[in-house]
Amino acid sequence: MEPVLELADLSKSYGRGERAVHAVRHVSLTVGPAEVYGFLGPNGAGKSTTIRMLLGLIRPSGGELRLFGQTLADNPSPLRRVGSLVDGGNFYPFLSGRRNLEVLARTMGRGRERIGDLLAQVGLAKDGGRKVKGYSTGMRQRLGVAAALLGDPDLIILDEPANGLDAAGIQEMRILIRSLAEEHGKTVFLSSHLLHEVQQLCDRVAIISQGTMIHESRIADLLRHDSGYRVEATPVSVAEAALAARWPTQSDGEALLVDASREDVPDMVRRLVGAGADVHAVAPTQRNLEEVFLSMTQSGETPDA
Amino acid sequence: MLDAFSAETLKLRRHRATWFLVWIFPIGALILYSIAIMVQLSRGLPPSPVAPELETWLNNAANFWGLPRSGFGRIIVTAYVAIVFAGEYAWNTWKLIVPHRARPSLIAAKFAVSLLLLYTAFLAAALLVNLLGTLNDMARGNPLPEGISAGAIAMAHVKGFAASLPGVLLSAAIAALAAILTRTTAAAIVIGIIVITLEQLFTAFAPVLSLYLPGMVEGLYTMLPGYHLANLTSWILDGSGMVVPFPNGATVAWGWQGSAAVVAAWIVGLMTLSFWRFGRQDIN
Repeated sequence: MEPVLELADLSKSYGRGERAVHAVRHVSLTVGPAEVYGFLGPNGAGKSTTIRMLLGLIRPSGGELRLFGQTLADNPSPLRRVGSLVDGGNFYPFLSGRRNLEVLARTMGRGRERIGDLLAQVGLAKDGGRKVKGYSTGMRQRLGVAAALLGDPDLIILDEPANGLDAAGIQEMRILIRSLAEEHGKTVFLSSHLLHEVQQLCDRVAIISQGTMIHESRIADLLRHDSGYRVEATPVSVAEAALAARWPTQSDGEALLVDASREDVPDMVRRLVGAGADVHAVAPTQRNLEEVFLSMTQSGETPDA
Repeated sequence: MLDAFSAETLKLRRHRATWFLVWIFPIGALILYSIAIMVQLSRGLPPSPVAPELETWLNNAANFWGLPRSGFGRIIVTAYVAIVFAGEYAWNTWKLIVPHRARPSLIAAKFAVSLLLLYTAFLAAALLVNLLGTLNDMARGNPLPEGISAGAIAMAHVKGFAASLPGVLLSAAIAALAAILTRTTAAAIVIGIIVITLEQLFTAFAPVLSLYLPGMVEGLYTMLPGYHLANLTSWILDGSGMVVPFPNGATVAWGWQGSAAVVAAWIVGLMTLSFWRFGRQDIN
C-alpha cells in the first residue's frame, strides 16, 4: 500500500553560514495507512518545525516531503486530505466555536453539515455558541480536534493533542484517536510529551533530539530492545563477579540488573551456579517508554547502540 | 477562490474593527447629519433666497467621497486593512487556514472583502449624506437648482467613487504589505500612518524642498504617488489636470493616463510584493 506520509532527508535551517541554526536535520520516515505514529522529542527537538513543514506552514531548507505520494513543493492540494491541530488550537477569539468551524469549513470549500456532530463528538455541543475567547485551554484543544476532523481527512496531524486536558479528557482523546485509525482507517501522526499516552496509542514511534531523528521503530521493539534481567542471587558479590565478566551488570544492593537477552538466561544461571552462588530469581525487566526516551535523548544514543 | 472570499466575509462581518472602522462611516454620517438638521431646524433659520448652481449642489450631494480620499480617511483604511491582515498573525490563525487553501487566494480574499466592506460603507454613507442634506434643504424650504436628475446625482457619486479609489487602494496595499512584513497590527498601522503622512507632506512641500535639492525633488515628485493621486482626482472631478509650478521655473503637469499608470504601478507593485512575501513566508 502506498505510504500516506514520507519524509526524505527533510531539513530546516534558519540563517546562513556559521550563524545558521539547524532546527531539523535530515529527518526521514514513512507512515503507512491507518497507522498511529508517534513523534517524540524533548522541547526544542524539532517536532513542531517538522509538523509545520508537513502542513506547508514552513518551507523546508532541504529534502523531500510526500503526502499520498505527491510532493508538496509546488502543489498544496494533498493538504486538502490532511487535518491538523497545531499549537493547541488557534481560533478567532471574537467568533464562537461553531462560527470558527464554519469559517474553516468555508475555507476548505466544504459544507457545515458535520459541525454539530463534531462539536458533540469532542464534548462541546453545549458550548459551541460561546465565543472562543471565553474557552479554557482544554476546550480550545477539543475544538482544535473538531477542526482537525472537519474535512474528513485521511491523515490527521496532532501536535500535543492532550495538552490542557484533564485525566478524563485525555482518556477520551485516546479512545477517539484509536477509533480514528481502527474503525475509520485514518492515519494519525502525533507529537506528544505524554509518553504513557504514546505508549498506549501508537503503533510506531520516531524519537527526535536536537533536530536529528535518533530512533524509529515499533513501540514493542523499542521496549524489547531495551529490556534486561533482574537477578536475585547470594552472595551478591560472588554473583556480580560471575555475571559482570560476561554482561554489563549493575547492583542495586539487593539484586543485579543484567543487560542480557532472553537467549543468555541459561548461560547466566550456569555461571551463577558454577561460581557457587544460590539463585533465587531471574526475572525480565522492562523499562517503560519514558525511561527509554530519557536515556536516548539525554545520551543521544539508540538502544541498539 | 469563492470559498476563501465567503470565509473571509463570515469572519470580518463579526469583527469589532469592522464596526469601529467601517460601519462607523454610515453610522457617523447618520448621527452627525441628524444632529445638524435638528440644530438648524431648531434655530429657525430663514430659507436661502436663491437656489445654488446645479454643479455646486451636486458637489455637495456627493461631498462624502472627499473623506475616503483625504489623509484621515486613508489612515482609517490603512488601520482597518492592517488589522485584517495582521490579525491572522496576532491570533495565530494562519496555522488554521493556510493548510487548506493556496496562499494567494487567502491574500486575494482579504483584499477583496476588506475593500468590498469599506466601499459598501462608503456608498451607504455617501447616499445617507446626500439624502439627509436634501431633506434638510426641503425642511428649511431652500430652493433646489433646476435640472436635478437621478442620472446627474448618480454621476456625481460615480465621480466621487472613482476619485477615492486610487488613494484607498494604495493605502490598502501599503497596510497589507506592512502587516505581512511586520506580522504585528500596531506596527503595521504605525508604518501605514507614517508612510501616508510622509507622502502627503512631501507632495505639499516638494516645491519648497526643491530649493534645497533641485532636480532630485522634482524627480521624486513625479515618481512617488502623491502628486499623481491629486492629479487624478483633479482630472476626475474637474476635468483638468493639476499644474504645479516649481521655483526653478519647471512645471509638473501630467495627463490622466500618465498619472493613472504611475499610481497603478505603485498599487500593483505593492500588492505583488504582499503576495510574493506571504507566499514564501514561514508561519511559525
